[in-house]
Amino acid sequence: MISLRHIRKRFRDGEREVEVLRDLDLEVPRGGFTAVVGPSGSGKSTLLYVAGALDADFEGDAVVAGRDLKTLSARERAAFRNGSVGFVFQSFNLLPSLPAVENTMLPGLFVPRGSPAPSLGQLRDRALEALDRVGLADKAARLPGRLSGGERQRVAIARALLSRPAVLLADEPTGNLDAVSGEAVIQLFSGMVRDGVTVLVVTHEERVSAAATRVLHLEDGRLR
Amino acid sequence: MRLRSLVHLASLNLRSDVRGTAVNTAAACVGAAALVFFVAFGMGVGQAARLLFPGDARLVEVVPGAVSLGAALGGGALDDAAVGRLRELPGVEGAWRRLSLRVPIAASRPPEGVRMNWPTGFTVQVPVVGVDAGLVASDLARGRKFEDPPAGDAIPVLASRRLLEVYNKTIAPAWNLRRLPAGLDLMGLQIPVQVGFSIIPQKTEDRVYDARLALAGLSDRVPLYSLAVPVETVRRLHAEYGKPDTGYSSVVLEVGRPDDVPDVAAAVRRMGFAVDEGERAMAERVGLAITVTAGALALLALLMTALAALAIAQSLSASVRGRTRDIAILQSLGATAGDVRALVLAEAGLVGLAGGVVGVGIAWLAARGVDAAALRLLPDFPFRPTTFFLFPAWIFFLGVGVSAAAALVGALAPAALAARIDPARSVS
Repeated sequence: MISLRHIRKRFRDGEREVEVLRDLDLEVPRGGFTAVVGPSGSGKSTLLYVAGALDADFEGDAVVAGRDLKTLSARERAAFRNGSVGFVFQSFNLLPSLPAVENTMLPGLFVPRGSPAPSLGQLRDRALEALDRVGLADKAARLPGRLSGGERQRVAIARALLSRPAVLLADEPTGNLDAVSGEAVIQLFSGMVRDGVTVLVVTHEERVSAAATRVLHLEDGRLR
Repeated sequence: MRLRSLVHLASLNLRSDVRGTAVNTAAACVGAAALVFFVAFGMGVGQAARLLFPGDARLVEVVPGAVSLGAALGGGALDDAAVGRLRELPGVEGAWRRLSLRVPIAASRPPEGVRMNWPTGFTVQVPVVGVDAGLVASDLARGRKFEDPPAGDAIPVLASRRLLEVYNKTIAPAWNLRRLPAGLDLMGLQIPVQVGFSIIPQKTEDRVYDARLALAGLSDRVPLYSLAVPVETVRRLHAEYGKPDTGYSSVVLEVGRPDDVPDVAAAVRRMGFAVDEGERAMAERVGLAITVTAGALALLALLMTALAALAIAQSLSASVRGRTRDIAILQSLGATAGDVRALVLAEAGLVGLAGGVVGVGIAWLAARGVDAAALRLLPDFPFRPTTFFLFPAWIFFLGVGVSAAAALVGALAPAALAARIDPARSVS
């Protein structure tokens, strides 16, 4: 489902060029729950952005959910992010001015031309359904500022699930959560894996990696 | 991104930043209000001026030259031969004679059928000019003829369309006469007159007789303080009273296109005649002054609109910079650069539309306020307009359209800025 081969990624830091990913290879089968662990600054997030087509400036081959990311145009990458992958971030990345349900609806607003687009009413129903799956149907009208950290992350997961993606990419999803909330998020991921979703999590938390079916270590830009 | 999704998300964003939205809407509103107010004002004043100075840009009034070397060398009297030559000038579609009546006519009694408190012994000297029927044909009341009548019949006359207003606002108050109600149908009104009688005793003719004038129409082509009768009637009266034929007082040329008027006027002068620029020149000067003033005001309003666009541009740029992460989040969820650009433009467009609608409303209310103040403060004078503003339907679309367009132009740079945001760098 995720196939990364010989991935190299460099950043320019002033005069200096820093290589974050060095000839990285990664294979994640369909329905797998893979955790990538490593210290801060080891390139975990960069790996996720490459796999999620947020970052197109890399060397190597990346095939995710059957799409060769190197060959995609900017528009096609956006469509890929919209329909094939879901993102969950450490800091939730909810729009603070929108209620939970409107945040959850967002991917549905960017359905690319040529694909069937639901009406706003249908989209709202789907968002409410997704919120119900993460146990937040009763808090759909709340702004993110009036939700706890765990609830915000569950809204982010509901949003990631809205487009029924094949792949879920999570960047330190429990980093800002207490133990109980973190456990709830991990349970949600496990449930998604049972539903056939491929989950790739980058984390430095053992409780997450303990739940994964496979754990990889990222050091010096390579997976071990 | 579908239009409904775009509008939905743009509305949500605008609602989430009430202060910014209010400031931008106010900027767009000021531009639209100023534009609509000044354009409506220019058109309203222009309309009022046209009532005061109903000059026809296609008419050229030819009068005898001040210095004449005789018909052989051109110029001289405006006789039938001269009228024929004038009619043949390139661009001229009609030549209509005017002949001032040199026999005095006076009215010592009120018009029949109109309730007027005519003062005892009050006599009005009536200036009369004979005109060709063709000049005023379109102004004749239905079923009325404009030709020299058989002996004993009322003489058809046309009055200036402005005379009733001038009478009510100037003559009636000055002489303490009853005003005539607006909308009064005066057609067929008969005025008893004495032909040959002058209020200056030395100018009264040896023979004075009673006659009647019958109003056959109102026309802007009749001098304000004169009555127009058929030119044949004037020639008959001149013959009756032994007045020598000195040619026509003037000839009105109707030119096909206003652009041809200067060429026709030049040709007329080459023929040795003069052109009376008086009324037309006044109308043109007034029209030009109004056009220039209204244009300057509209330009000022456009400048304000441009400043509004600049304010919106600055505000939206700041907003985009403040929302960099939010925009990156949208990109991570599938928004393309085009979607992001469209979103910022849609926000600006909605602000512009709202500002335009409010601005047009404010302009309309301000216009009503100015009209109310003018009605209270200005003295009553002929043709005092009931409004100084004209609000045709298109002006509302102009206000809203220009406001929306200005907001969109102001949003171009911020939209481009937003579309360049790199999600990989900004999302976390």
